[in-house]
Amino acid sequence: MRRSWLILPVLLFLAVLLVVPYINMVRMSFLVKPPGAPFINEFTLANYARVFTDGFYWMILRNTFWYAILTTFLTLVLGYPLAYAIARAPNRRRPLLLMLLIAPLLVGVVIRSYGWLILLGRVGLVNEMLRYFGRQPAELMYNEIGMIIGLVHIFMPFMALSIAGALQNISPDVERAARSLGASPWKTFWRITWPLSLPGVFAGILLVFVLAVSSYVIPILLGGNNVLVIPMLVVQLLLDAFNWPLGSALAMVFFGLTAMLLWAYVKIMNRALRWSLR
Amino acid sequence: MASIRLHDLTKRFGRVVAVNRLRLEIQEGELVTLLGPSGCGKTTTLRIIGGFEHPDGGDVFFADRAVTRLPPEKRNTGIVFQNYALFPHLTVNENVAFGLEVRGVSRPEIARRVGAILDKVQLSGLGGRYVHQLSGGQQQRTALARALVISPQVLLLDEPLANLDAKLREEMRFYIRHLQQEFGITTVYVTHDQAEAMVLADRIVVMRDGVLQQVGAPHEIYQRPQTAWVADFIGLSNFLRGTVVNRQNGQVSVRTPMGTFDAIGTGTHGPVLMVLRPESLHFQGAGANRLRGIVRERAFLGNLLDYRVECGPDCVLRVQADPSRVYQPGEQVDLTFAPSDAWVVPDQDERA
Repeated sequence: MRRSWLILPVLLFLAVLLVVPYINMVRMSFLVKPPGAPFINEFTLANYARVFTDGFYWMILRNTFWYAILTTFLTLVLGYPLAYAIARAPNRRRPLLLMLLIAPLLVGVVIRSYGWLILLGRVGLVNEMLRYFGRQPAELMYNEIGMIIGLVHIFMPFMALSIAGALQNISPDVERAARSLGASPWKTFWRITWPLSLPGVFAGILLVFVLAVSSYVIPILLGGNNVLVIPMLVVQLLLDAFNWPLGSALAMVFFGLTAMLLWAYVKIMNRALRWSLR
Repeated sequence: MASIRLHDLTKRFGRVVAVNRLRLEIQEGELVTLLGPSGCGKTTTLRIIGGFEHPDGGDVFFADRAVTRLPPEKRNTGIVFQNYALFPHLTVNENVAFGLEVRGVSRPEIARRVGAILDKVQLSGLGGRYVHQLSGGQQQRTALARALVISPQVLLLDEPLANLDAKLREEMRFYIRHLQQEFGITTVYVTHDQAEAMVLADRIVVMRDGVLQQVGAPHEIYQRPQTAWVADFIGLSNFLRGTVVNRQNGQVSVRTPMGTFDAIGTGTHGPVLMVLRPESLHFQGAGANRLRGIVRERAFLGNLLDYRVECGPDCVLRVQADPSRVYQPGEQVDLTFAPSDAWVVPDQDERA
């Protein structure tokens, strides 16, 4: 490991900008919030006690994880066929399809979210269509539906790209071999293609879940005031309620739960992918 | 086991005709190699036989039954690919068992047949390993076992030895031939390696640009090539350009700038090329076919010495001779060859 000094700049960067603020936040979460000031230097466990005992925080935690899981599931269901089409496209056409998949990432999240307004808003395209056909307009914005649509849209490329990468690593000859041995296309998919694409599926799930569970801008823009997720709540506590210790404690609990979930997930993933470990 | 018949098979990819009206009959239990340079249509032909490509015209018959429209899983073929195409997420046992499982064979029967075939390919004891824990040769034999365990009607091999190192490749040629004979299975073997084709094949099918050039036993292809292209593609050939001046019971006299020689050949007239294999040319032998030349280059090949002998303007002949007598570059030599070793082909086709 003579080259290990090469990672020093990044380590330094992370230490200053990530580890130090985090340590500061851990400290903050154990301090007392007096009226009229963000905090005073006095130790207490009251912030954690409040997060763990107040049902409101548990409900928001549960909702946040539920939205992330739903988003991840939908990107998987929609992204897999897309990834398959890209991976099996003729070499000539694949770069174009990849470009189309990535193109939305070139437009900022805020601009894209406003794009949804034009489609899903009260006088948006979808509702105008419904009205035209004599139906009741649907509430598609500023609620859970709007937020989920936005999250799925924005995180889809991450899922599709990691699955497409795994699918492209599968030689078409492997599928041909399965067919020649008597497996129907359907059976070939479930017995061969799907398990061999699992590394990409697992990576995509991890990526999209982490992005979705911590997303802040999209829930605000598309969920309006009708949806509350932990990142929003933490910001409200820190900036609006000026309660830095409680906000920090909530952030710590959220971080701890997410980390535990990911740890269990990686364990399961490694077991499922034992065959690929060299 | 089944015979295979290809009837006017045609396949186009855009404007390229990959296979052009190919007609071929393969006997039951026969091993036929499809031989040709890359892009000659041999792999496409194999894929059509396996059902992975649909021909634009023509039909494929297994034992007189048309299978052209059957999907691959209904054809009962065993296939071994160049990259082996093993299932990396399954063990050796599971790989070999796959074809039996999807056929609904009972568990004990699967265990019995997988065990038997792994014994046969000398992989018993390795059944629990994953593919990446096997050497190249072991992966190769796993692929063979997986293809053979389903008792296919037809065995298709797509350059199965190309990824092995030279020494193992040599051994595996004989091993595959041995397995094929033991199972008595009709086999189509695609290769661009002519030595492989020579060792393995009952008959060799030489293809070029999607068109069948010649079909025959290895010695026929080598000694009696039908065209200059085949003569040039298979083995090393010297060509002497000339014209037929006389013909008598299969023997012809060919006039060349170097003199007139006796040769053999049927149905050729007008401009011809005389094909002389490097090992058919002898130094200071007897006979009427005699050429005078000067040794220009010499290379040591182990069992042979490889000479380049200049016999005239634009005429340099490759000569391979046994190393007991060594000729020096610059030395003047007489080359002779038997009329039966000089084969005449029409001079109308470009060479390989």
